[in-house]
Amino acid sequence: MASIGGLLVARLFDAIVPLFMKTAIDSLADPDIEPTLLVPVLSILGIVATRFLIYVFSQRALRRLSISVSYDLRKRLFNHVQFQGAHFFNRFGTGDLMSRAVNDVSMVRMVVSFGAVTILTTVFTLITGLYFMIMLSPSLTFWVVLPLPLVGVAGFGMARALFPYYMDRQEAMAEVTAFTQENLNGIRTVQAMAQEEKEIDRFRDVSTHYAQTVYRVNRYQALMNVVMGFISTASTVIVIFYGGALVLRGEITLGTFMAFFSYLMMVAWPVRMIGMSITMFTAAAAGTERIFEILDYEPEVDDASTKTVTTELRGRIEFRNLVYSHPGAPRPTIDGATFNIEPGETIAFMGRVGSGKSTLLNAIVRLVDTPAGMVFLDGHDIHDFPLHQLRGAVTLVPQDPFLFSMTLRDNLTYDDLSRGDELIWEAAEAAAFADPLRRQLAEGLDTMVGERGVTLSGGQKQRATLTRGMVRDAKVLLLDDCFSSVDTETEERILRGLRRMRGGKTTMLISHRVSTARHADRIFVIDGGRFKESGTHQELIARGGYYADLAAVQSNQDEDRERKARLLRDLDSEISAEPMPEAAKL
Amino acid sequence: MSENAIQAPGPSRNYSAFDAELTHQALNVRLFVRLLGWLKPYLITLFVSIAFVVMAALSQVLMPILTSVVIIDTILVPTTIASDAPDYGLLALVDWIQSTYALEALSAAGLVYVTVLVGQSLLSFAHQLTLYSCSLKALRDLRIDLFAALERKPASFFDHVGVGRVMTRVTNDVENLFQLLTGFGGLAGEFVPFFVALFAMLAISGSLTGVVLVALPVAAIATIAFRIAMRKIFRFIRDSVSALNQYMQEDLVGIDVVQLSGREKQNIEEYGTHNRANRGYEFRAINFEVLYDTFNMSLGSVVTGGIVWFGGGQVIQQDISLGSMILFTSLVQMMIMPIVSLGQQFNVLFRSMASGERIFQALDWDEQLHEPDEPTVMEGRLRGKVEFRHAHFGYYQGEEILKDVSFSIEPGEKLAIVGPTGSGKSTIIRLLVRFYDIDDNMVFVDDVDVNKIHSRDLRERVGVVLQDFHIFSGTVCDNITLNNPDITRERAEWAARSVNADGFIQELADGYDTQLAERGQNLSQGQRQLLAFARVLAADPEILVLDEATANIDTSTELVVQDAVAKLTEGRTSIVVAHRLQTIQECDRILVLHHGVVEELGTHDELIAKGGIYYTLHELQFQDADVAREVAREDEGSEGRTTDPRWVSTPEDPSDTPDRM
Repeated sequence: MASIGGLLVARLFDAIVPLFMKTAIDSLADPDIEPTLLVPVLSILGIVATRFLIYVFSQRALRRLSISVSYDLRKRLFNHVQFQGAHFFNRFGTGDLMSRAVNDVSMVRMVVSFGAVTILTTVFTLITGLYFMIMLSPSLTFWVVLPLPLVGVAGFGMARALFPYYMDRQEAMAEVTAFTQENLNGIRTVQAMAQEEKEIDRFRDVSTHYAQTVYRVNRYQALMNVVMGFISTASTVIVIFYGGALVLRGEITLGTFMAFFSYLMMVAWPVRMIGMSITMFTAAAAGTERIFEILDYEPEVDDASTKTVTTELRGRIEFRNLVYSHPGAPRPTIDGATFNIEPGETIAFMGRVGSGKSTLLNAIVRLVDTPAGMVFLDGHDIHDFPLHQLRGAVTLVPQDPFLFSMTLRDNLTYDDLSRGDELIWEAAEAAAFADPLRRQLAEGLDTMVGERGVTLSGGQKQRATLTRGMVRDAKVLLLDDCFSSVDTETEERILRGLRRMRGGKTTMLISHRVSTARHADRIFVIDGGRFKESGTHQELIARGGYYADLAAVQSNQDEDRERKARLLRDLDSEISAEPMPEAAKL
Repeated sequence: MSENAIQAPGPSRNYSAFDAELTHQALNVRLFVRLLGWLKPYLITLFVSIAFVVMAALSQVLMPILTSVVIIDTILVPTTIASDAPDYGLLALVDWIQSTYALEALSAAGLVYVTVLVGQSLLSFAHQLTLYSCSLKALRDLRIDLFAALERKPASFFDHVGVGRVMTRVTNDVENLFQLLTGFGGLAGEFVPFFVALFAMLAISGSLTGVVLVALPVAAIATIAFRIAMRKIFRFIRDSVSALNQYMQEDLVGIDVVQLSGREKQNIEEYGTHNRANRGYEFRAINFEVLYDTFNMSLGSVVTGGIVWFGGGQVIQQDISLGSMILFTSLVQMMIMPIVSLGQQFNVLFRSMASGERIFQALDWDEQLHEPDEPTVMEGRLRGKVEFRHAHFGYYQGEEILKDVSFSIEPGEKLAIVGPTGSGKSTIIRLLVRFYDIDDNMVFVDDVDVNKIHSRDLRERVGVVLQDFHIFSGTVCDNITLNNPDITRERAEWAARSVNADGFIQELADGYDTQLAERGQNLSQGQRQLLAFARVLAADPEILVLDEATANIDTSTELVVQDAVAKLTEGRTSIVVAHRLQTIQECDRILVLHHGVVEELGTHDELIAKGGIYYTLHELQFQDADVAREVAREDEGSEGRTTDPRWVSTPEDPSDTPDRM
């Protein structure tokens, strides 16, 4: 507040300077007056010095404020986002969130530092300027001020009309970026299909279009300057014609005449700014709204952190008639799941894409938030656990292998950096990641991953994330199709590793391969959110259902065309099945 | 194709140079001159623009002269002092108007004033339009040239240089150059008045000009000092902002892992550290900024005070007229502004010099596929014979991915290539379509060395289905035709029907006109693969190469895919890098590759009978785990190694990273 006051005082000083100039000029122009130079000059210097100090301190304080605002907004956004669930991330993509954290925050910052204060000071400047003008010559002021409202209206109107041009330019730029990115990402395809020259031609169009939009924005801005210049000039011309006549008639002095020039600058500029500022405010209001849209979003998974289940967990999982629908999905993803998994059991889930397997696993760690009273760990509703306890006891290895750009060691012990290398190596051995670690990644655990480091192959990434899951040695381990990118022989090794490390602990895994599932104690076949078959490998083979068909087709020993045909019958519905809802992939 | 083709593509190059920090030379004249090369076609526009800005600048200086010399000294307070102030004929003009149109002197002067002002506005409008026009066109051309250069780079280039980093050169860096061109164009608009004003001042009073000139070095020193102080801070701010954004981006992409690992609190802490660092630098920067801004503001006032003091004295001594003194106060801003603007332009200059360097580096990067001087034109359709003769290849010097690989495929034959990860399967495909430069006389198509065929011609005839199907944003139909005008919509739909893709396409919201996103999240793996088949079938290549996706598709989808593969390969010489044995069995012969060596080659029955690698692989993947278990048990003895040591897939070929192909 003090700093705003300071700025206003500085403006007031600005307004006094022309008065001293007037005194000096008048004393020089009128031979009857004794020339006084010392007082005006010293006063001007004095004002400059005072204003300097005030200005430095208040401007500094205000700009610090705006920096702190953006700091705070970013911090709140980041913190808020950490605790959001699947619905949230379905609604706001990464790109969207990033653009809010970057563009919208800086927009708000601009308004704080520039917009609000500018409007306040411009209005103040306008008022002081007008006051001094009226004091010097009311009649001249009247005529001079006459065109000013026009300047404000035109400024506002033109700034608004500029908006669509800006949008066009932004879109055209986005098009250039998207085209380039997409094209270079798919460069192998383009080259393999010998389409380079055609793509270059298309880029020529995109790039030309962009240049045109930029030209239009600039042309309009230049035009705006000309028009605004013309309108503002009207006042200057009035000063010359009317003011000059007044000087000749001796009604005002030459000093007043000159002072009017200065005040006119002081007054015309704020009028012009106000139009622009209003436009800016509308844009910023939109930005602020976008930020608060995020901040006001209640985390859908509410963390019951007050209670803690103290008993030693054993890893018993129970589903009681779970029915769950992804938002917007026409039918439930899980339609009445009821089962018990005893501590130490290994369970395999099989089924088509979109059948609900991933949703089941996600429900246990509450990545998908199901209603209370349906999923239980060791007899306690999972909603009764604080999230960190639940997720510490149950480890999910998601389908998409994701590594952060940090060292492999940090990646593998992401949840608890204090783990020793021995534990990591043991887990890596079990996940068949020890070999690549030793032989292919020169710096072993210290290898940097990502942009500035090594790019791991799909198989290596998958084994690394598997290691990250195994190293936690949790009571319950959930593997969401974690062997898809490794060859059969590596998979065998991983399964052996699993048996070694997971003795007495619960493991649930999703797989498409019978060769994987057959090792499980029990196998569940899911279709359309319902359990179709369950039992051991032998039982399901004997039953001759879907699982047996899969086993037959996969082992290829069956020449029975009928079985193949039975699977093929659903093919259309299969392939054209609803695309998996985003959340199911989590 | 000559001896320089012998040189392997990757090894001798220092790719880190491509991303390395650039020289940061503030003013690289050579670079600037080179940039002007792109302006050549638009030189006339540029000169017209310069002419406009000079005229606009002159009229800008005329206005204060008109006010002080004509209006004040002549009309309002007629002076007795013989003024030395140049009037550039303005006095005569006003006199002429006054007598011709019988106007009052003041009205005549006002009229001239309005005219000059309108003229000045229009001139600078014209200046801006012409300047934008020529620089935008020049940069558009530069951008297209850059894109074209990248588009034609061989695969080895993109193996090493990330797409993201090359991309910013096409987008941001070119944008920075636009700022440079327009910035300097604008600077011309400020420096012309600077000299005109200086000239006018010297004509009036040398000593008073001296007062103004004292301020200039002060402004210059302040500007330089400010830039030096800010340069480092700016870099800190830039780095901290990018660290901040990168951290957030990664956290968002991996949010599942973050939440599952219970890392939220720690990440908030780490993000907070970046955020605080950024705030600290910003705070430091504004200290200087505010000081500098205020200093500039005050300098003008101080100089004005000086002019009033010294000038006023001279007015009293009747050395100069009152109007001249007032003129001086008006011209002061014209002297100081260019220096301030120049300081601002330095920022742009630094940035754009670095950008220019990056752009030209990408343009100059001479890594190219060597095309034959006189390419062999293959008449008509190929018969479809493919032959490798003692082929050797490595991505890096000293590395051998393929060792003496020889085999041949007869027209119409289907060959499956199998082998563990890193055995060089995909490399064979890449060499066949010349993604990499290879030695002469290693790979032949219809008995012609592929090095003698232009790569474009070769790739039109050899259709490749890559492991990862890249979806371009556009309609389904666009993605099949790849915007190739030779492929009609009917042909695209026929191709889709032929590979079983029609069914799911019809069920999409707008059928063949459904918009697809780049990441293709609206399509499943199986669907994407079928689209890839349709794409290659529509192009109707004479030889088909299929790198089968290892990805997880469920068994029924797989059956559809298998069926499509059968239709695709029908009557075509085909090479399939196979991961699934179903595919293999449809093939005529099987080539087993291991560590870049052809270990076995023959029909399925022959290889099974042989009982070698293929047999082991077949047992592992197909049979009940009885065999597998047996294998495993043997294994346990040898500390986690598999039966056949040859099957330990090491070293993993970097070529198997998904971004290579």
